[in-house]
Amino acid sequence: MDNVLEVSGLTGGYQRSKPVLHDINFSIQPHEIVGLIGLNGAGKSTTIKHILGLMEPHEGGVKIHGKTLAENMEAYRSKMAYIPETPLLYEELTLWEHLELTAMAYGIEEETFKKRADELLKEFRMEKMIRWFPSHFSKGMRQKVMIMCAFLVNPSLYVADEPFVGLDPLGIKSFLDHMKKMKEKGCGILMSTHILATAEKYCDRFILLHEGRIVVKGTMEELRQQLQLPNADLDDIYVAVTEEGRHG
Amino acid sequence: MDNVGNLWRSRRAEYWGMAIKYLRLIANSGFLFTIYLLFIFGSYYYGEFLLWLPEDFPTVWVFVALFSWLVTRGRVRTFVKDADLVYLPPLESRMKPYFRSSILYSWMMETFWLALPILVLAPLFFHRLSDSGTLLLAILALLSGLKLWNLASGFEEQRFQENSKVISHTALRTVLNVSMVVALFTFQPLWVVVILALILLVLYLFYFNKINDSHAVKWDRLARIEDNTVMTFYRVANSFTDVPQLKAAVRPRRYLNRMFKGMNYDQKNTYLYMYSRSFVRSNDYFGIFIRLTFLGSLFLSIVTLTWGLWVISGLFIYMTAIQLKTLKAHFRTSQIIDLYPVSYEERTRAHLKLMNVLLVFQVVVFFIVSIIAHGLTEAVSVFIAAALVAFIYPNVIMKRQSA
Repeated sequence: MDNVLEVSGLTGGYQRSKPVLHDINFSIQPHEIVGLIGLNGAGKSTTIKHILGLMEPHEGGVKIHGKTLAENMEAYRSKMAYIPETPLLYEELTLWEHLELTAMAYGIEEETFKKRADELLKEFRMEKMIRWFPSHFSKGMRQKVMIMCAFLVNPSLYVADEPFVGLDPLGIKSFLDHMKKMKEKGCGILMSTHILATAEKYCDRFILLHEGRIVVKGTMEELRQQLQLPNADLDDIYVAVTEEGRHG
Repeated sequence: MDNVGNLWRSRRAEYWGMAIKYLRLIANSGFLFTIYLLFIFGSYYYGEFLLWLPEDFPTVWVFVALFSWLVTRGRVRTFVKDADLVYLPPLESRMKPYFRSSILYSWMMETFWLALPILVLAPLFFHRLSDSGTLLLAILALLSGLKLWNLASGFEEQRFQENSKVISHTALRTVLNVSMVVALFTFQPLWVVVILALILLVLYLFYFNKINDSHAVKWDRLARIEDNTVMTFYRVANSFTDVPQLKAAVRPRRYLNRMFKGMNYDQKNTYLYMYSRSFVRSNDYFGIFIRLTFLGSLFLSIVTLTWGLWVISGLFIYMTAIQLKTLKAHFRTSQIIDLYPVSYEERTRAHLKLMNVLLVFQVVVFFIVSIIAHGLTEAVSVFIAAALVAFIYPNVIMKRQSA
């Protein structure tokens, strides 16, 4: 099957002399949620930045549906939605305008946009705030705006960096339900998170990063086999992998 | 305590370090040129204005109203920050020298703000009220003394918890200030002024000065007053240069939302959607645009020299264009905008389009003002001068710069 995302031999970072990522290889197929797990500073955000095309790889590359950013910027970008770790909002736009702008930028039909926007606003309980400016939003509401913008685009790849921070329990549930629905429809999802219990429950496969390298990857079963920890949960595996790194 | 004195001096130095940086930027900006222009035209028309002023113009009451307001307004600069709410209250009993320095410093600054209008209005004073310079200086000295009383009493006033009490005390001060200012500008005999001064002194010593016995300093109010003062400075500085601390302030200006109606829902209009909204709502691009349009129109309606009209219309269009140029960089720090599947060239195109629309609007306004003030023939030449600058700056000069 056609890979939604393919990262091959990616070495990268801000400085060429000091790469942060070393030879990263993984791919995401349709109908798949992949968890990107690692300590602070392991290289998760740098990996995500390379996928978004905000940084240029030193070696290797990133393809979305078989195309690199350089081959076709507009096609590459329009297939992907990003939910950042800290909500990035335009202080001078209202909630409704954020949605409208996003839909415009991704070339979504006006009718489709209005239908989707109404559904999302209802689902995330933000209907009453459509004319508010971000300065009146709490941290969780800001995060909801980012999430709604991402779902509005309805792309084939979602990249979510710590999407749960600041969300209320109902918000988390709506978000995860939506993710599952998107997965069933055939999207690929890359999700970086520290909330391992949730990751274990929702992700199909995992990539464990440590000091800029993939230490281990695969399904829960594959991880257990590779590390010879038969009954371990994701927390145990995470600790084992990072401990190993410290001693080795 | 010496460390309290040190704290005050370091706070003052910190503020002025920041202020001087911006004052230098303001001095270097094209705006200073407008001030020169204003000064040159102003001093010429000032003399004409004084001669034209009707005999029954209430000069005394203009002075009374202006200086009563100037004396009553203004708060003590304490340089208190939000974080001080945590650290300084334990030191409050030792803070007396700090607040005394604050009051004296504010007195110095406020005396300057009294002297400036006195200087500007001096010709009017000499023309209508009295030709004695000594008298004017004496009045300035007494106003400055009154200011000190206001600052000292006003500082004690802030110790009240309830806003209503603060307001009633300010009202009391206003009444006393107006009486004193009236006495000064109607040249009452010296004993009237002395009696009023004694009343103020007694009131301070036996009333205002006693408030601190039972009321502590309200730190959050001091921090808010200080914050407002600094923000006012930032807002002024922001008319000339970019003040990042001010970024957060967004003005909805909902009455202007109708302007956006003309824009279609279309991927091509993505950046125009963003730029037009940030122009209207953020960072006061809109305020500067309106002010420059208004000032330009004002100059165009007063000035009678033909070449002066050309220069003014061209100059104001040019200054507006420079201000609008900075809008391009408005989203530079946003990461999300870089992810949109719309090319960077579209961003330049949208910015240029918005600039052209706004400058055409300004050209039309200048044209109409000139027709009303000077007739169609003069207005056509103004139109040509303004339209040339409005076309050349964005479409030729800026294009070359970005290429």
